[in-house]
Amino acid sequence: MIREGFEMENSGTLQSRSANSRAHDGDAALMRRIASGDETALAAVYHRYAKLVYSVALRVLRNADVAEEVLQDIFYQLWRSASAFNPSRGSLSGWLLVCARNRAISRLRGRAVEPTSELREQTAVLRMNLEDDLTRAQQISRVRAALEKLQPAQRQALELAYFEGLTHTEIARQTGEPLGTVKTRLRAAVELLKRALNP
Amino acid sequence: MNGHPQFEEDLDLYALGALDSEEARELESHLEACPVCTQKLEEARGRAALLALAAPPQEVPRRVKDRLLKQIAGRRAEQRPAQRAVFWQWAAPALAALSLVLAVWAVALKTENNELYRQVRELEGKQQTMRAELTRARTVLELLTAPDTAKVTLVAGEAHPAPQGKVFYHPQKGLLFYAANLPVLPSGKTYQLWLVPTQGNPISAGIFQTDPHGNGEVLLPQLPVGVAAKAFAVTMEPAGGVPQPTGPKVLVGLST
Repeated sequence: MIREGFEMENSGTLQSRSANSRAHDGDAALMRRIASGDETALAAVYHRYAKLVYSVALRVLRNADVAEEVLQDIFYQLWRSASAFNPSRGSLSGWLLVCARNRAISRLRGRAVEPTSELREQTAVLRMNLEDDLTRAQQISRVRAALEKLQPAQRQALELAYFEGLTHTEIARQTGEPLGTVKTRLRAAVELLKRALNP
Repeated sequence: MNGHPQFEEDLDLYALGALDSEEARELESHLEACPVCTQKLEEARGRAALLALAAPPQEVPRRVKDRLLKQIAGRRAEQRPAQRAVFWQWAAPALAALSLVLAVWAVALKTENNELYRQVRELEGKQQTMRAELTRARTVLELLTAPDTAKVTLVAGEAHPAPQGKVFYHPQKGLLFYAANLPVLPSGKTYQLWLVPTQGNPISAGIFQTDPHGNGEVLLPQLPVGVAAKAFAVTMEPAGGVPQPTGPKVLVGLST
C-alpha cells in the first residue's frame, strides 16, 4: 500500500496514479508527509526532481554510476531528514540543486560532503520555487537562453567554475589564459546572466 | 544603501566558488560584518544555483529508484527491531536497577516501619509506666497529707542506735512504712511488716530488706481495704516471708 507510488511507476507507466494525485501538492506538504514516513510522498518528490538532480550530478561527474549514487544519496538523506526541512528558509528545489552540485563536486574532488549540503543547513539559495512543472520548465529555458547569449569563452568559464568546481586561477591554468582575462571574463558572464535572469 | 562595490563584484564569483582561497577568506571576513553584502550574496547564490538548470537533461535509470526503495525498506526493517532492541538494551538494565532500588527501598521502609512500630509500643509502655507512677505518686501524696492518716513511730527496746520505724496507714488509701537503724539481717532471713487488726490475726504488709545503714521501706503493699489497725510490727522471718509472724519482734507500734 505504502509502496504503491514506486511499484506503479516501476510497472512501466511514466507516472503512477499515486504520484499523479500528488502532482499539485506543494513541496512543503510532501516533505511533511515524508517526515511522517509516507513513501508515496517521497515518490512524488523524486518524480519531480530526480531528473534535475541526476542531470546536474552527471554533468559534473561525467560518470553515470557515481552520478546515480549521488542521486540515491541525496534522496535517501531527504527521506531520513525530511523533518529538518523548513520551507521558510528556502525552497526544496533550491536545496536539491545546490546539494546535487556540491555533492557531485565533492565526489569529483574526492572530498567529504560539505556540511552546507545538509538539509538542515539549507539557506534561501533559491527563492524561486520550482515545484510547479510549468515554472520549472520556464526557468530551465530562461537559464539556457541566458547562457546561449554568452560568448562561448564566457560560458565555458562559467561552466568550469560551476560544474567543475574550479577557481579562476585553476581555470586560467586549465585554459592557458592569463588570470586577469579569466577574472574579467567571469565577471562579465555573471553580469550578463544577472541581467538576463533579473529583467 | 548600495553596499561595497569593491566586494560586491566578487560576490557572484564567490557564490560560484571561483574565488581563490585567499580572496574568499578576505570576502568572508567582510561578510561577517556586513549584512548588506550578506544579503547580496544570498541573491548571488540563488543565481548561481540556477546554473544547475543548464545541465543537459538526462534520463534517470529506473534502477536508482529501485535501489532507493530497497535502501529505505532495509532501513525500516532494521530500524524497528533495532529501535526496540536499543530501547530494551537500555530499558532492561534501567528497569532492573529501578526494581533493585525499589526492593531495597521497600526493605528500608519495612525496617523503618518496624522500628517506628517498636518505638510506638515502647512509648505506649513508657506512658503506661508513667501513668502508673503518677497514680502512685498521687496516692502517696494523698496518704501523707490526709488528716486521718495514722502516723506511728516504732521504737526498739534497748538497741543502740535505736532501730526506728514509721508507718503511715489509711484503711482506704493504703500504707507507707519507713525504717531506720535496723540490725543487719542474717542470711536466709527477711524483715516482714505486719498490720495487727483490731480483730483477728496479723496481716502481712509485705517483706523488705535493708540497705547497709539499716534503712528499709514498704510502700503501698497489697492489703485488704478498710481494715482497722490496732498495731504494726516488724518481725524477722525466713526469706520469702511467712503467713503469720513466727520470728522475734524487731519493731512494734500501736495505732493511735
